[in-house]
Amino acid sequence: MKILVAVKRVADYNVKVRAKSDNTGPDLANVKMAINPFCEIAVEEAVRLKEKGIATEIIVVSIGAQAAQEQVRTALALGADRGILITTDTDLESLAVAKCLKAVCDNESPDIVLLGKQAIDGDNNHTGQMLGALTGWAQATFASELTIDGDSATVIREVDAGLQTIQIKLPAIVTADLRLNEPRYASLPNIMKAKKKTIDSTTPADLGVDVAPRTTLLKAEPPAERKAGIKVEDVAQLVDKLKNEAKVIS
Amino acid sequence: MDKNTLQQLQAIVGEARVLCDADSLQNYGLDRTTVWTAAPCAIVLPGSIEEVQAIVRLAASEDLAIVPSGGRTGLSGGAVARSGELVLALDRMNKVIDFNAVDRSLTCQAGIITQQLQEYAAQQGLFYPVDFAATGSSQIGGNIATNAGGINVIRYGMTRDWVLGLKVVTGNGDILELNRGLLKNNTGYDFRHLFIGSEGTLGIICEATLRLAPPPQERAVLVLGVSDFPAIMDVLKTYSGALTLNAFEFFSDLALEKVLAHQPLSPPFTARTPYYALLEIEQSHPDSLDTAMSLFEHCVEQGWVLDGVVSQNQTQAKNLWRLREDISETLSFSKPYKNDIAVTISKMPDFILAVDQLTQQHYPDFEVVWFGHIGDGNLHLNILKPDALSVEDFNQQCNAVSVAVAELVQSFGGSISAEHGIGLLKKPYLSYTRSDTEIALMQEMKRLFDPQGILNPGKLI
Repeated sequence: MKILVAVKRVADYNVKVRAKSDNTGPDLANVKMAINPFCEIAVEEAVRLKEKGIATEIIVVSIGAQAAQEQVRTALALGADRGILITTDTDLESLAVAKCLKAVCDNESPDIVLLGKQAIDGDNNHTGQMLGALTGWAQATFASELTIDGDSATVIREVDAGLQTIQIKLPAIVTADLRLNEPRYASLPNIMKAKKKTIDSTTPADLGVDVAPRTTLLKAEPPAERKAGIKVEDVAQLVDKLKNEAKVIS
Repeated sequence: MDKNTLQQLQAIVGEARVLCDADSLQNYGLDRTTVWTAAPCAIVLPGSIEEVQAIVRLAASEDLAIVPSGGRTGLSGGAVARSGELVLALDRMNKVIDFNAVDRSLTCQAGIITQQLQEYAAQQGLFYPVDFAATGSSQIGGNIATNAGGINVIRYGMTRDWVLGLKVVTGNGDILELNRGLLKNNTGYDFRHLFIGSEGTLGIICEATLRLAPPPQERAVLVLGVSDFPAIMDVLKTYSGALTLNAFEFFSDLALEKVLAHQPLSPPFTARTPYYALLEIEQSHPDSLDTAMSLFEHCVEQGWVLDGVVSQNQTQAKNLWRLREDISETLSFSKPYKNDIAVTISKMPDFILAVDQLTQQHYPDFEVVWFGHIGDGNLHLNILKPDALSVEDFNQQCNAVSVAVAELVQSFGGSISAEHGIGLLKKPYLSYTRSDTEIALMQEMKRLFDPQGILNPGKLI
């Protein structure tokens, strides 16, 4: 069984990202970059499927600037077998990403495509669903448990009301939620081995995908700063403020 | 405390700032040691250096002992009040007084929480580099009084290296302004350095001017599985020669086992190895990680290192650090007997072997947990209480171990307290590291600053 995993290069989850002073976007100069945490969970799930003897090959794909090669290498160190890097300097929208991934699916014919449910930079939660539509394959989003059984998979999904268990036919798109697994550390011996694994480079144009943006970013600005809190002297003052200033009790 | 003294104290700081309730006496009477019972007479919370001065003068006239108190995260009993002392807690004196971007320094009151100070520095685009597990509770005054060390000493030194100036109240009630933030000041004896590490025995540190560093570059954390202790030294030599190390820590497999059993953390890799080295490297150069990798290859080829991981993001870096930083907290459940020893780095393998032999020979039932700041020559030896043994019997046996360990430390020319200080806990062993002449001089020096002996009596010397 062949698994395709998509990873995105994003600002490290722990970095406090600031807006550029001219409000044209987030300031990512000298910011620590890492694999999007949900994508990392997708990689871990693929590696676990391989360790269980279910998957035979894991292909990791990333789309972005040349620097995204770092994240492909990390995924290779975590256990993926080979990489594909689709380089572009355009800031891609979800649909363009999904179309690129569709082209890779056409070339590679994976049985499962594993993605993060969303990237922590755009927070769009689009790509998996759009890829589902483009390929016409079954999709299971927000997965917190994935069990493969022959040519079908049972997926427990995290939905608003609780957990939903569904069965889907392969090939399928599965997007990872937070509780699917806890990713391992990249071991140094594996990082060294990963250097010898191949990464094929291509471009959206080579894949026949038009990635021209359809939306324009007008302005990026930081959220309004919260006013500092105050300490109340006693319960009476608290009640008074809740009643008359905050107006949350009457 | 008699009513008259109480009233005078209340007149200085206000009625609400003298605490006598049982909870406060218990809370303010102890640090993180578990040996003594809290028995202070009262807690006083001054809000200014003038109030501290007035309290010290009152205490001198009433012959009342004072225990200065910060975050009470100490491990040697330096802040323990066990015999009717007045605890003078700096909690309310927690403000930043001045920040100077040109001097890259800040002046603050002594009661500021270390972590808040670190955060303040970060907001100014600078860095206060002294860091250890307890910074969320400890106060800068206590850090200075104990010359706190921690996890970045290999790169940045101890608290002493960051203090540019101090304002203190001596046992005489004098206010001294020491060094005034100067970088260069060759005008005789530098009293500032006497107060750093004085454990509250010379005066009460009320304000400090601290040097700040430029913020560090991106950092990566490596955890390496090491075959035996001498190999750790080879790894240290290999890495410190080629890269900027912020930290080089080690822990034994037993330490890891205890942490994993108590904390929701994953092991660094599946294989278990006798020791682990944790390295934090600063990626000051684009090739830093590649260098770290080729050094790793070399260490594996030499048979020193069996496996290893490197953090891929800051979350992983934090979690790997927790494997080391959570040891102390994890062990605290089993009331360990703690030793904080230093020898020169080159003597560490022989020393650790000698201590291991000693404990195995005489106390085969004891679980011995090793961890520490290898890069600084600082070892934390923790002995865990076997369930079958009562606390009293255990402590008694450990005291015997301590004498034997102290003798070993002495023969290796080491220190019986690397960074925890002397306080009450290590006082019986001071003579294994300091000569009688030195101790006599220290006692005379204390008399100069605190003629009536009202400041933290019974501690240190």
